[in-house]
Amino acid sequence: MTPNSPSAPSRRRFLASSVVVAAAVGGGMPLLTACGGGSGGAKNEGTTTGKKLKDILPAYVPSKAVTPDIPSKNGSADGFTTALPADQLAVSVPKKLGQGSELRVMAPLWGTSPGDGNPYWKAMDEAAGVTVKWQNQDGNVYGQKLGAVLASSDIPDAVVVPGWELGGKIPSAIANKFADLGPYLSGDKVKDYPNLAAIPTGAWQRAVFAGKLRGLPMPAEATPNITPFYRADIFEEKGYEVPTTTQEFYDLCKEINAPKSKVWACSDMTWSAFVFFGVLPEKPYYWKLVDGKLVNRYETDEYLEALEWSRSLYSAGFVHPDAKAETGDMRTTFSSGNVLMYNADISDWYAATAVQRLDKPEFRMGAMDFFAAAGGDPVIYEASPSNIWCFVNKNADKKTIQDVLALANYTAAPYGTKEQRLKAYGLEGTHHTLKDGILVKTEQGNNQVFATYEYVASPAPFRAYPDFPDVAKGVIEWQQRQGAHLKKPLFHGMQIQEPTRYTELNAQFEDLEKDIVRGRKKVGDMQQAVSDWKTKGGDKLRDWYKKLLDETGESAS
Amino acid sequence: MSLSTDDRRAQESGTPPVKTRAAAGDRPVTKDMPLRHRLRRDRTLILMTLPAMVLLLVFAYIPLAGNVVAFQDYDPYIADNAFQAIAQSPWVGFEWFQQMVNDRLFWSALRNTLTIFLLQLTLFFPVPILLALFINSFVRPRVRAVAQAILYLPHFFSWVLVVTVFQQMFGGAGLIAQTLRENGHEGFDLMTDPGLFKFLITFEMIWKDAGWGVIVFLAALAAVSPDLYEASAMDGANRWRRMWHITLPALRPVVALLLVLQVGNALTVGFEQILLQRTAVGPGASEVLDTYVWNVGITNGGFSYAAAVGIIKGIFGLLLVLGANKVAHLMGEQGVYKK
Repeated sequence: MTPNSPSAPSRRRFLASSVVVAAAVGGGMPLLTACGGGSGGAKNEGTTTGKKLKDILPAYVPSKAVTPDIPSKNGSADGFTTALPADQLAVSVPKKLGQGSELRVMAPLWGTSPGDGNPYWKAMDEAAGVTVKWQNQDGNVYGQKLGAVLASSDIPDAVVVPGWELGGKIPSAIANKFADLGPYLSGDKVKDYPNLAAIPTGAWQRAVFAGKLRGLPMPAEATPNITPFYRADIFEEKGYEVPTTTQEFYDLCKEINAPKSKVWACSDMTWSAFVFFGVLPEKPYYWKLVDGKLVNRYETDEYLEALEWSRSLYSAGFVHPDAKAETGDMRTTFSSGNVLMYNADISDWYAATAVQRLDKPEFRMGAMDFFAAAGGDPVIYEASPSNIWCFVNKNADKKTIQDVLALANYTAAPYGTKEQRLKAYGLEGTHHTLKDGILVKTEQGNNQVFATYEYVASPAPFRAYPDFPDVAKGVIEWQQRQGAHLKKPLFHGMQIQEPTRYTELNAQFEDLEKDIVRGRKKVGDMQQAVSDWKTKGGDKLRDWYKKLLDETGESAS
Repeated sequence: MSLSTDDRRAQESGTPPVKTRAAAGDRPVTKDMPLRHRLRRDRTLILMTLPAMVLLLVFAYIPLAGNVVAFQDYDPYIADNAFQAIAQSPWVGFEWFQQMVNDRLFWSALRNTLTIFLLQLTLFFPVPILLALFINSFVRPRVRAVAQAILYLPHFFSWVLVVTVFQQMFGGAGLIAQTLRENGHEGFDLMTDPGLFKFLITFEMIWKDAGWGVIVFLAALAAVSPDLYEASAMDGANRWRRMWHITLPALRPVVALLLVLQVGNALTVGFEQILLQRTAVGPGASEVLDTYVWNVGITNGGFSYAAAVGIIKGIFGLLLVLGANKVAHLMGEQGVYKK
């Protein structure tokens, strides 16, 4: 798992790793609560739009700290390929805002905690004016810890919740257990925290839960984070062509596959297949209008076709056995050349390159452009403007809330500032060195400086890899090419809370997808599951969404 | 009181009956003693069990009260603490239990659980006994110590490690499959075969824990007086007869006790081990009651339904212990307890 921007929406994890157990069963949970229906129904259901939303959202004051080397286009991040010397960095937090509170912050961590009292955390706390007592939990099983902690009477001062953990009753917990930040941030009030004011409005909008601004967002690109990677160096050497249709992909797999010499063509490609076949995103953006009627992702032909195609890769033996068993780290398997294609979060590009180039300078990977299954332009559904939020305990006193915001204002500093340099690279000399414009993290830097503070709040999306400018360029250009094909799903950008009686409705599908692509169940079993889904509440859910659609319109912005 | 055959024979021959339970004879009769006296007499013993009792109370009995959520539509997040949340959650009677009856996944989990239990009982249970006999047959203490150490070792590996080792050995890209491929044969993948999964986890369990299970049996064997062996050897009993008439009877009470305990745990067939390999073979082959409760309750937040499944599991487990204990008594063994 990559420290930078973890996992796909509504997926608890990305890479296979045996320490992890995903997903959920529980199909057929009873429908106990009374019917509410519609956004105006029961408490905490539906979404917030219109004037009510406008009154809540913070003002937007863009940051002018630095101009990116590759400016954002088509929903991509800003790209940075260079690093300024420390004395030329801008300062976005001239006065320490923190009042010295001790903050207990629970956050996911993909990696090993550097431990209390390490120089990086100390320096960050000192600069922000707070003392953070981190309660880091393994990011791969974060949801399980989250549910238990939120059910206890001892909730930390601030809690990070990723969007893919919003299953079950977690949204109810967010509405009941976390503070309304509106009194501190709505409208012009956010201007006390200039870096928070520079967070794009869309990201804030997804942070509105149950009618109140409760979350501090981590903004994300509009382009998909799931990226089909290939080994560019090996492709070049062997003369493989990057595929442009699913058939070409299959044929290429056949050419590459050589288990005898420990080379498999690919890892599990289901998530890429969903894009190749134009499958709708996951809850709550999983509807499309066909002749005035809402159709769910699970009911579409595209969905079945995508699963069927992924299944064909498995049954032909192209998929690495470890991917089938979901053990081991696919990034490592890919880096060592045991698979030549895999899909992962786009930050893997940097993560894998940084490790490999230490002793293999010729290591190069690339991201293939998404294509429509039969060739031509793909339909790529736009990603949510933010998908990880930090919440503040509703019982926190004013000073604590202000100190969380002070910390957030510090961590949301944009690239090219002194604050961001400290957050992302630690202390010069200890965690990184900067010589002739080349910024390199030291071993101590790699062991101590990784995403923790990020999750408290982040600036508008950017990718800065001054140590590997070719990666920065590759990432941004890929995003801009994919961005040309973006399409907004229904309800885009809205934070929607489904009625609690439907929360278990979709739980079975993730297991079933895995069963089908791995050949343990037939594609036909999915059709059975979909008809169960309809009778168990899917059709009622459709009515609920239809009513919501009539009230709110198709998209938030 | 009925007399044993020995006593009866003794009476017939005119000699006074021999008190066979002499050891128990010095224990005072407690039935007619007032509670106060008994408390005073057993004061030290009671004090010694007190810490264990407190632990049991705090971590087992008090939490039992939390089972009320099985009769509610419980939402832990509506109030500041669990007690308030329970007070505020609506009651739904036996709705969750009715739901369970119609829940395909519950029955599948129960079926898997029982199958794995039977496999463990037939394949795993005898292994430590055989290993104990094997180790016991080594005469030189040094060889014995080394053998024991090697057998105990895997017990201290975590399940993550065990599963990884198995994946590296028997997985599709594992050592064995790869060696086969390099020599022109077909590879195989033991780790992702749903049909073999239940055997696979039993095999993993044997590898990890059979050595550890040996300890109890070795202790039982150590308690056998060497005189018995010597005497029977003098009488011309060979190795097999000695094992049949001395060693195995010595193990019998321990085997019966462990068997009863094992049956009581029939519905607890492993959690972490199975959770780790769930995706590799799919929930159809691997979901057991414990992982089902985990997924429904902790992962999906269906606390009430999970609690209902937990209660059913508990009741079933209790009935199994009582039943097995009864069977042990019928076989003339002590079992777990006796009235």
